[in-house]
Amino acid sequence: MSINEMGNPLIQVQNLGKKFGDLEVLKDISVDIYKGDVVCVIGPSGSGKSTFLRCLNRLEEPTSGHILFEGTDIVDKNTNIDKHRQKMGMVFQQFNLFPHMTILKNLTLAPMKLQGKSSKEAEEQALKLLDKVGLKDRANSYPNQLSGGQKQRIAIVRALCMNPDVMLFDEPTSALDPEMVGEVLNVMRELAEEKMTMVVVTHEMGFAKEVATRVMFMDGGYFLEENEPVEFFEHPKNDRLKSFLSKVL
Amino acid sequence: MWEKLRDDFYQNFIVDDRWKYITEGLQNTLKITFFAVLIGILLGFLVAIIRSTYENTGRLKILNAICSVYLTVIRGTPVVVQLMIMYFIIFSFHDPGQIFTAILAFGINSGAYVAEIFRSGISSIERGQFEAGRSLGFNYAQTMWFIIMPQAFKNVVPTLANEFIVLLKETSVAGYIGLQDLTKGGDIIKSRTYSAFFPLISVALIYLVMVMVFSYLVTLLERRLKKSEH
Repeated sequence: MSINEMGNPLIQVQNLGKKFGDLEVLKDISVDIYKGDVVCVIGPSGSGKSTFLRCLNRLEEPTSGHILFEGTDIVDKNTNIDKHRQKMGMVFQQFNLFPHMTILKNLTLAPMKLQGKSSKEAEEQALKLLDKVGLKDRANSYPNQLSGGQKQRIAIVRALCMNPDVMLFDEPTSALDPEMVGEVLNVMRELAEEKMTMVVVTHEMGFAKEVATRVMFMDGGYFLEENEPVEFFEHPKNDRLKSFLSKVL
Repeated sequence: MWEKLRDDFYQNFIVDDRWKYITEGLQNTLKITFFAVLIGILLGFLVAIIRSTYENTGRLKILNAICSVYLTVIRGTPVVVQLMIMYFIIFSFHDPGQIFTAILAFGINSGAYVAEIFRSGISSIERGQFEAGRSLGFNYAQTMWFIIMPQAFKNVVPTLANEFIVLLKETSVAGYIGLQDLTKGGDIIKSRTYSAFFPLISVALIYLVMVMVFSYLVTLLERRLKKSEH
């Protein structure tokens, strides 16, 4: 799309608000995400960061504001959200692989049914990506036969098989045993190196420091501070961010 | 003693080809059960989809209300009463045949139970599965069809099988509308011969064997479905 070449944001969040009943989880959030950005969102639990991420592909319905994705307002009820979700890959904390299908079927289902790819085409692509994350030999396994780290790498590949323009990660390593966190972060690091646009909600400060192009701190439904990683972690300005960092670093 | 048994057997099954009451009754029982199961699955599936869609999205409000009434009425009254209402009231002006009436009544009855079985199966699937499907770009119906239903179905196979066993046995009240099913067949023989032992025990044995064979088939199916997860 020419919009991106012109330097317009890939995702433009304007005055986004989300309430669950009386509880206001997101308050007037505005942020622009550009092509190639790796945005890490950090903050204490309950701060609204997952809700923010889930609003980006409307798994949560925003209660106010607009989200422009590639120029289209996806909050608008008349927008075909399914079409846009095909361009927004999502990776969940709990992996959410489909347990009744083999890995290969997990990866080829959406490309075949939604993009009209032939099974040969879809499988070739799936196997190529599987190879990249070192799991080609598990193509015919079922999800239950894999470790958590393997499942999450597969989940990333499943999203990638749709050739998305942006990848959303919702605490992708929080449900993993510590020794498996590294393998998943490595895959994400490689993605970032390939200039994939990524929005990552995470508690992995090391990853944020090393890989992010921008880090944002969320608390109480607001983004309180945003900066490039070195400045963000070494010279935090906001008091709440300072106290948060002193606890987690 | 032995003589008496042999004579009894002869009287109940051989004389006047009385065994035919059993075989013809069995045919009717199987016919009713088979088609009632089909109607039950179809109806139950539809109702479950409507109810789950309403629960998940708030859509289909009116259809959901109709389904609620259907479930309440059907599950709140005895099947034999429903059968008689169907035959003597609803079809009182035009008799479409007893078998047809029975199939319809038992099918509609079974649909209510199957609906709740399917619905509990659907709601037993983690929300994350649904979200994963939607996040890939599948719409609601596609997500249900490709991702939720296959898993839900696998979870409910044992309960569903049990419902069909119950249905098979419940058709034994079909005699109330003058239909000659397996039970009625035995009953007719008994009323001709004034001896209860052979007709009733043989009827019971036939039900038992059918249920056992069916249960065995379900075990095979369950084992096959399980295999695909490990």
